[in-house]
Amino acid sequence: MTAAAVRTSPEQQRDLEAFYYMEARLLDNRLYRQWLALLSPDIQYLLPARVNAQVDNRERGTEQMISVERELEGGDSMGCPIREESYIHLMVRVERAFKINSWSENPPARTRRIVGNVELMSSGSEEYSVVSNFHLYYSRPGSASFLYSGQRRDVLLPAGEGYQLRRREVIMDYADIALPTLGLLF
Amino acid sequence: MKYTIDELVNRDASLISRRCWTDPAVYKLEKRGIFGRAWLFLGHESQIRRPGDFVQAYMCETPIILSRGENGQLYANINSCSHRGLPVCRADHGNTKRFICPYHNWSYTVEGALATIPQESALRNKPDKRLLGLKPVPRIASWRGLVFGSFDPDIMPLEDYLGDMRFYLDAFLDRFPQGIEFMGAPHRWVLDANWKLPVENQLGDVNHGAFLHSAIIPREAQDLIEELGYSVVTTPGHGATFRLMPEDAPVDDVAWGMEGMGGMFGGAEVQDYLREVQARAAERVGPLRARMKGLTYGIYPNLSFLWSNASFKVSHPRGPGRVEYWSWAVVPADAPAAVKRLLRTNYSSFFGPGGMLEQEDSEVWVQQFRGSNIDFADDRPYFYGLGLGEEGPHPELPGQVSVTANEFYARHFFTRWRDELQAVERAS
Ligand code: FES
Ligand SMILES: [Fe+2]
Repeated sequence: MTAAAVRTSPEQQRDLEAFYYMEARLLDNRLYRQWLALLSPDIQYLLPARVNAQVDNRERGTEQMISVERELEGGDSMGCPIREESYIHLMVRVERAFKINSWSENPPARTRRIVGNVELMSSGSEEYSVVSNFHLYYSRPGSASFLYSGQRRDVLLPAGEGYQLRRREVIMDYADIALPTLGLLF
Repeated sequence: MKYTIDELVNRDASLISRRCWTDPAVYKLEKRGIFGRAWLFLGHESQIRRPGDFVQAYMCETPIILSRGENGQLYANINSCSHRGLPVCRADHGNTKRFICPYHNWSYTVEGALATIPQESALRNKPDKRLLGLKPVPRIASWRGLVFGSFDPDIMPLEDYLGDMRFYLDAFLDRFPQGIEFMGAPHRWVLDANWKLPVENQLGDVNHGAFLHSAIIPREAQDLIEELGYSVVTTPGHGATFRLMPEDAPVDDVAWGMEGMGGMFGGAEVQDYLREVQARAAERVGPLRARMKGLTYGIYPNLSFLWSNASFKVSHPRGPGRVEYWSWAVVPADAPAAVKRLLRTNYSSFFGPGGMLEQEDSEVWVQQFRGSNIDFADDRPYFYGLGLGEEGPHPELPGQVSVTANEFYARHFFTRWRDELQAVERAS
């Protein structure tokens, strides 16, 4: 990942942030179908696995030695990402939330997402690469409460007044997965 | 402990006490009576193909390094330095010549021998390094690439331990000319649950599908599963559930992998591959097993295999109320890389820490521990009597056989569990 973000105008920065704030509000208010409408039908939704990688002696002293990328088993790897989903997966997840027999979501969890550090990393004629960080507070009835923390690497498409989400890669900050599920909409 | 094991599991194991799940004294007995004596799953040979390759594993709470030595042999050692006990291997997997302990840099070979003590050059009396290697796991054995270890030097051979489960495991493992491969590091998920419930769930609990998972599994799909479904127990604690598809069923209905997300939406390459595997199944595993379409498998005490969603799983205890649940996607070793990548989503879409079904299972495992860990209800043990005595032999299928609604798989598990705990209880 390159160090420098792209210069944005105050308007463009505000538009990007407004998109993410709205997205977080929809999800926290459980308006999942409205969230689904923000997705491009060809969306790729990825959550790489994160491993404790062996230090490679040949990389000592370099940034690569301790890079986050080395710890990820993502879509191109021959490991196994925790999630690699399409629109169909996300639609099933969304529809599931509205069924009374989704026992683990019933009563539903309470969530609060704080999204920040929104940076435009590159923009082509059609697409915007945007990274953002999130903290997600999650509490489920009859269970402990949890803090999820991570980064999202998105590809957005311009759509009407706002954007559509075409690709999302979620980099979670766990060491051991001591969380009830990584199956949430991050 | 204020009671004996005898009081926790009744004679036919149709009544199971809440204390089986929650009592620290019971957990201590489990460590000695079960985890100290059984063959425990360590990993798959596909993870450690080359000399110097290693992966981490656990035997109950004891950390293990499973490695391939310079001579090509398998080694399993306890991951704890002979000097002050630190884990000497800190990466999940990799390839190395030496494990170096961070504290004082004693170094060990990949086979577990102590190679160097940096401090000894300054000292007159040199320690005998041959006595100070990592502690080896006394027994290690591999069958079809599945590697197991045991702390009991006198344990029966692995093949005997697996017994007739080999018949059912081969229905899957032997379907592929080069066997299977584990993809990447395991997903490691820590839950506030007892280790036995994930095991029981994957041993034969097909029946919860239509209920707990009814938001995802339609009733008709579950009806079909139950109509064609069998549950078998080969040896108490080992079991399998599967469908036996009709002889004239279309290949797409029988072929392994077709019913997962990767099979359904992966396109022609993956589907053609799966059809080809199925076309050769009868010749490889025989006509009966070619019609088998597996669901859940369990190997006592804590290894599970989910055929329908291509995953091996181990339930590592971390105390009575905590479990570290590991799972791997498994794929045919000879499949093209692109096909493997698609097939792994047969696992990850529904299982593992992000899976749509397992997010429901994990919730009930946690809630079951909460429900067990309560007071004033010890006179109400859990009812495990569904289908009591309804299992029996079958002309073609080894083991005791019944319908999937029969909970005999769980009764057999707890009968063995009780007997093994009683053996150490008596000895103490
Ligand atoms: S504890 Fe391992 S070298 Fe001292
Ligand atoms: Fe389940």
